[in-house]
Formats: sequence, C-alpha cells, structure tokens
Amino acid sequence: MKSLILSLLIMATAFAQDIVELKLPKSNQIIIRLVFKNGSISDPVGKEGLTYTTAEMITEGGTGSLSYADIQDKIYPMAASYYSAVDKEISYFQFAVHQDWLDKFYPIMIGLITNPSFSDADFQRVIANQQNYVDQVIRASSDEEYSKKALEDFLFRDTRYQHMTAGKSESVKNITLEDVKKHYHDLFTKNNLTIGIAGNYSPEFLEKLKNDLSKLSDNIPVVPAPPVIEMPSGINVEIIAKDGAFGSAIFTGFPLSVTRADDDFAALMVANSYLGEHRKSYGRLYQQIRETRSMNYGDYSYIEWYNNGGGNMLPPSGVPRHSNYFAVWIRPVQIAKQLKQQYEELKDVNIGHAHFALRMALREVDKLVKDGMTEEDFEATRTFLRSYIKLYIKNPAEQLGYLLDSKFYGRKDYISELDKQLASLTADDVNKAIRKYWQTDNMDITIITDVSEAEPLAKSLKENLDSPMSYSNFVKAGLPEDVLKEDKETESFKLNVKTVKIIKSADTFK
Amino acid sequence: MKYLYIIPFLLFFGITVFGQDKGDDKILPYPIYQHKLDNSLNVVTIPYDSPGLAAFYIVVRVGSRNEVEEGVTGFAHFFEHMMFRGTDKYPRDKYNDILKAVGAGANANTSLDRTIYHMTGNAEKLETMFEIEADRFMNLHYTEHDFKTEAGAVKGEYTKNYASPYEQISEELVNTAFDKHTYKHTTMGFFKDIVDMPNQFEYSKKFFERFYRPEYSTIIVVGDVKPDNVNKLAETYFGKWGKGNYDPQIPVEPEQKETRYTHLQNSSIPPYLSLNYKGPAFSDKTIDMPALDILSTILFSQNSELFKKLVIDEQKARYIGGGAEDSRDPYLISIETSLYKPEDMQYVKDEIVKAIENVKNNGVDKKILEDTKSYLKYSYAMRTVDPDVIANSVAHYVYLTGDPESLNRLYSMYGKITVDDIIKVAKKYFIPEHLTVATISPAAEGGIK
Repeated sequence: MKSLILSLLIMATAFAQDIVELKLPKSNQIIIRLVFKNGSISDPVGKEGLTYTTAEMITEGGTGSLSYADIQDKIYPMAASYYSAVDKEISYFQFAVHQDWLDKFYPIMIGLITNPSFSDADFQRVIANQQNYVDQVIRASSDEEYSKKALEDFLFRDTRYQHMTAGKSESVKNITLEDVKKHYHDLFTKNNLTIGIAGNYSPEFLEKLKNDLSKLSDNIPVVPAPPVIEMPSGINVEIIAKDGAFGSAIFTGFPLSVTRADDDFAALMVANSYLGEHRKSYGRLYQQIRETRSMNYGDYSYIEWYNNGGGNMLPPSGVPRHSNYFAVWIRPVQIAKQLKQQYEELKDVNIGHAHFALRMALREVDKLVKDGMTEEDFEATRTFLRSYIKLYIKNPAEQLGYLLDSKFYGRKDYISELDKQLASLTADDVNKAIRKYWQTDNMDITIITDVSEAEPLAKSLKENLDSPMSYSNFVKAGLPEDVLKEDKETESFKLNVKTVKIIKSADTFK
Repeated sequence: MKYLYIIPFLLFFGITVFGQDKGDDKILPYPIYQHKLDNSLNVVTIPYDSPGLAAFYIVVRVGSRNEVEEGVTGFAHFFEHMMFRGTDKYPRDKYNDILKAVGAGANANTSLDRTIYHMTGNAEKLETMFEIEADRFMNLHYTEHDFKTEAGAVKGEYTKNYASPYEQISEELVNTAFDKHTYKHTTMGFFKDIVDMPNQFEYSKKFFERFYRPEYSTIIVVGDVKPDNVNKLAETYFGKWGKGNYDPQIPVEPEQKETRYTHLQNSSIPPYLSLNYKGPAFSDKTIDMPALDILSTILFSQNSELFKKLVIDEQKARYIGGGAEDSRDPYLISIETSLYKPEDMQYVKDEIVKAIENVKNNGVDKKILEDTKSYLKYSYAMRTVDPDVIANSVAHYVYLTGDPESLNRLYSMYGKITVDDIIKVAKKYFIPEHLTVATISPAAEGGIK
C-alpha cells in the first residue's frame, strides 16, 4: 500500500460563486468554461469512470426539452461547440460561440448543464464508447499513450489516482444511469463550481449566467483528498507484453512534492526544460538519444502531467493536480525482432534498445543531479522559457484555462507570476532544487513491448546485465570516439532495479 | 432572460464579421499583403492584433507527391528532418541555441503536397528568425554520418505511428486505391524505402537542389508585424536565393474501373469501415471541391441524417465522418466509420451508399444547404483566434494553389453553391467503379460487397 491518505476527505465550502473573468473587448466570440472541483478521484469504488460518464452524458445528451439530435440541428449553423474534460481532480465543460449566436446558444448551454435529460438511449451510446475505450482503444491505438496510463496505474496503485479517468474494464460495466443521476446531483453542484468566461460579454450577461447556474444542485460535495504517495523503493518495472508491438514504449516516474503552487516549481521547470523540454530538440535527453544516436523519435521529461503529449505541442490547461510526479518519456525504441529483420549485422541480437535507452536517460538525470546546470545553460534556458510560456496562452480559451488553473493552485495569474519567478531565479536556486527533488534510485517504470521482447528485456533489467548499444553499420561507421566511449560507460550504468514483472496486455486496467 | 438579449440583439441587427463591407465578403477579415521577390519567392504578410507575437511560416511545395522515382518514397518527409541538421555558419547546436534564445515554438511537418516549417514567438526577434531560416534554406550542409543517423529517427517515427491499426490500414488503402500516381505511398513512404534511406545520401543532395528553391516556396508572416518591414527582411535575407529549374513529371492516375478492397485482420480495435471515392484536385475556380465540401458536411457531420440514424438512433456505428481531401492532384473522398459489431458492416455500408444515392436523385434541402454555408463560415471564424492558426490556414491554400487569396475565393464559392451543383458533384464523384473499401475486423477477409 503506497497510499498514505485514503480516508481524508475534503468538503467544499458552502455556496460562494467563484468567477474568473477575461474581458476581451475586441473578440467576436464568447468562451465559457465551467470547472467543477471533482474529477475521477471522486468515482465510487467499483464504479471507476463514473465522473467521466456523467460529464459525457451532459455533452453527449439532450436537455429537458431537446434531444441530442435536436441540439445538433440547432447549433449547426452557429458552428458553436462544446465539450467536457475530466481529469483526476477537476472536470470542466467548455462552450464556445460566436457573439452573433449567443442569444440562441445560451439556453441550450444552460439546459445542458442545469437540466440534462439523461436519457437511457444516450446512456447506452455513451457507456458503450467508454467501455470500448478502456477495453480496446487504450491498448491498441498508441503504445505511448498506453505506457503513460499504465505508469499512472502503477505509480498510484491502490489510491484514488490509480484508474484512468474513463475507468477500468470491470468498473465501467457496473455504472448505471441511476449512478449518473446521483453523481450529477451530488458532485456537479454550485458549491464546487468555478465559472470562467472570456470574450466580449456584458456585465448583464454575466449576471444572468451566474443566476442560472445557481440552479445547480445545492449539495455540498464530498471529494476524497488527493493521494500522497510514498517514494517507490528501488526501481520497479512493469513490462506489458503485447502481440505485434513494433517497438518498446517507455514511461517512468517518481512522486514529486512540488506543484505550481510552490516557488520551487519555477526552478525545477528550468532544470526540466534543459533536461527534456517537450517536443523540442534542445533537451539533453533528445540530443543524446535521438539526435546523436537516432534511437527513436524523441525523448522528454516532465514535472507535472502533460495531457495528450503525443498530440499537443504546448501544455494544455485543464489538468491541475495536487499529486505530482517527475516523468521521463522515451518514445518507442527498436526491439530485437525488428533489428534482426532489418540489418544483417544485427541478426544475432537478443534484445532491442529499451534497456540501453533507459540507462542513457537515467544517466543524464543522474549527471544533472551530480553536476547541476552551468551558469550559461541556466541563462539560455531561462531566456527561452520566459518567452516560450507566453505561447501557452496565445489564444483566449487557453488564456482563460490557465487563469482557472491558477486558482486551483492558489495563484491569481500563474503565467505572469511564473515570469517574475523566472526573472529572479539563479543557477544556484535551480541546482538546489534539482538536488532536493530529483534522484535516479527509486522510480516506477512501464514498458509496452512485443511479446518476443518481454522475457529477454525482463532478464536484462532484473540481472542488471550489460546492454551494449546495437547500432546498424550505417550509424556505427561515423560515430565519434567520445560517443562510443559514452556508450561503453552507459551500457553498464547501474540501475537500482528491485522488481521486474511481465504483464499480459489483456490483464492491464482490470 | 431580460439581461441576456442586450448585446446579442445589437449585434444581430448591427454588424457581423462577414458582412462588414458590402461587396467584400472575404472570410479572412484581415488584408493579405503579397510581395514577390525577383527570384520568385512570394512573401505574404498578415498584420494581426497579437501584441508581441508573430508566426513565421515557410511553405515549400514539395511533399510525397513529388517522390516520382523508385526507391525514394518518404524522402520529402525525411528531408524535412535533415533541414534541422545545420549549416557551416550555424551548425546544428548553434542553430538550436539561437532558436532557444528566440523562445519560439518551432517545428515542421510534411504531407502529400507540401512541407511546412514554422516558428511562433517573440515578434521582436523576427529578424533573427529570417536570418537563421534563410541560412538553412540556402546553405544547408550535413555530413553523411548525420544523414544516416537521422534516418534512424525517421524509422523511430514510423515505429511510433505503426502501433496504430488505423495507420496500417491507411497505408494499405492508398496502395490499393492508386496504381501510378505518387499518392500510392503515404508521406512516411514504403517501409522498405525507409529502411534503405541511409543509402540515399547522394540523392538527398539532389533533392535539396531541386526543391529547396524560391519558386517552390512562400514565406508567411502573421501577427504583430508590418508588411514593409517583413518585405525588407525577406529581400535582405532571401534576396540572393537562386532559382532552380526542376519540374517533376507526376504520373497521371488512370481511371479506376472497378471497386477495390483492402482488409486488415485485427481484433484489438472496434470494426472499422472506410469508403474512398476518387475525388477532384483542389481548385477555387470550379464548383467541384466547394460543392463536395458542402455535400460531405451535409451527409456526414454530427447533425446529418446518417449520423442520427446510425450513431444516435440505431447505435450501429460509434462514429461516422467524411470529406474530400484538399490536394493538388485528384485524391480521395473518404467516409470513415467505426462500428460496434463486425456483422453490421454491410448494413452500414449500404446505408451510406443509400444516403449518397438519395442526394443524386433528390438533391438536398435548401435550408440545410444554407445552414451548412453558415456552419462553414462560422467554423472558420471560430477557429482563427491566434496568429499561428491564421498562418496555418493560409499556408494550406498557398500549397494548394500558390496563392493565399484562394482561401477567400473558396469561401466566396461556398456562398454560391446551389442544390443543382450538389447533385452534379454527387453524380460525378460517388461512382462505385471509383470506390476503394478498406476494412478492419477480426475476420480474415473484409467480406463487404
């Protein structure tokens, strides 16, 4: 049992409407984001996925007077849009409409939120899609996304953070329409709602919105506290063996006690950007694993959850969390089966690149912990971030989203506060933070790989066997001496592996 | 409800974004400034209210369509990777350092007809952006070792993508639907060619000589910038870029004579069905593409009769969607659907075909036609909320026709499409002989008629 706190519950305070406003007089659209402070963390045990179902039933269903199909007809000429998103601790609904259509769209929006129809037919459709996602889609469509969800399942085992927001194969089967209605009444209430609004709207409109939303349930929701997890003891690996995987997709993590609420977060952000800025070629991990050695498509690190990393280039808003973890993402590397087929000179290899890539990545983290960042690297990275973070909020929806997330962390305007924090940081602050929060001896690791690769990889990891890099002759021929020397050091870099388990793909997320 | 109506009421009877100037119904409510350099490089500037922010795009009209030679499919995409390997003046590391100092979000991507390089960041650093981009577009220099190393990253990208059965079937689909045209291979290329990429160092230099030329390229700058300044920077940094003389002969696809099929046996995902009819090349001068856009929105969007029947009421399909891909040469009009049960595949296919036949015979409702025009216009307005999105949408039309004004022309064409036009294109393009059916199911064969 890694969780320390399961029984602690947080109760929302009684009704006091929270509002985050972003007035944009030149904009021709209105964006409304309604944030409820309850996410998958408040799913009942045995019915994991219920918050997600409830949110989907609101956006994929009708209102008191209109069916889902009626709504689609009405909003079609407006090109108005809305969606729901559920994360561990919050759920939100976002509505966007051109100001020309606001009066016609508004009643639909309010109807969806305050008077959802929750019809049985809509429920059948929503739950079938959700079941399909947890049974099939997550395992079959992207091994990278799979490895991330599997890591959260591992790292947060036996806590309210463990399950995917969409739930588990068995738990989704238990969800009923009655559960949805009750969950909506108990948890999507006016007492845990924050209203976000952006665009060119009038004070009267906002007043009306506030009034209408006060019709939501008056229940004071009880939401479990986010888990505080212990540091894993040693390195623990779960290899998920899948038929026909083309490579090994790797994701690692260990708990991190800081979030955006803490001042140390900015320091760690500089270190993380230097180590592995998402989808950038500046990071050490990327340069070492992809650029110099061409082992995969990219390698990055994280100090908070980054939603849909495979699709997003910039970190999206709407996923604020209290339980953070440090993570390294190694995109799929080659497996032995593929190397053998493609290169005559590698016909005798028994194991692909996963073990070596893992060693290379953790060795980079280790070096950073030991040596810290140079003054020069610190300055360059800070300069980059001070400009780059402005892109996070380049459109109104994300600007509003970041403001709403700021509130979650007890801040007013995270991006502008972050800029000030970055401005006053020193290299010393960053290096202190690295030493304080990062290490390489304890972590959980998930690897999605082919069944043929699982056994040899497990053995290699468990026994800490040397994992010499197996280059094709193409690449090997031109590699400089210092790279080969570094490879030699890396192949036997000791990982503090304690446990290695092979799990069949079908047995995950049960 | 009394408060609510104040603002919308004024707007409803006042101005709308599309009707500000009578006679000027351009979808993009900002002027497009164009300036052509002597070497044929087109420079497009769109000033936009995004204080301190500018999007800098370079569109090269080379994609997998241009890969006419045997054994080098996937090269346009591979070359996009090579463009990040540096020059003598700014080797890779230095280029990265400068880019990092600009604090921009920068990347590139390749598809059928084009490669796009983009960076969005601090508008004050525009000159640096021009300088480093001009340097690599004119003076790219990499070693054979760099070249071979990068080939591994491309294989890594393929490995990542190939995990998805949808990716696997789309590869098979184009290979089945096309015989001669280069659209037969995906932008990633045939896997055997990807494995062989390290051997193509000499060819890569030829590729650069051929396509990385001003006549193939357009610069697009959107945001907190002035056209005069952008043009001056373009002259300064790209003025000496020499013109090339290569004109690839893209094979013409012969007419398809019968329905084709491709199938992937896979039980790990829900059954999947796609119908792919040969469509037209993009043009903003004929009604074909705009009419097809409207028709496919009517037939396959979330409020379509088909969606209501198959997805909402009968719950036979989990999803349905479709449309004609914009491309320089005739490509595909694709309708995709994901099902609950494999045994419903034939039924779902028949229902889709029935809906298409219904349009051929009876046309479409006039109100739905007008609603669809409204939908397309408002969708565009709702999307264009930052300089990056605007640059991207303009880049789309630049690669299709070479002219950013195509965007405005296309949307103005939408406004003129009639019910007869819709019937005409339905009859012209939705022909069984021009159809390729792609399926994924647990069965060994697709089994669709």
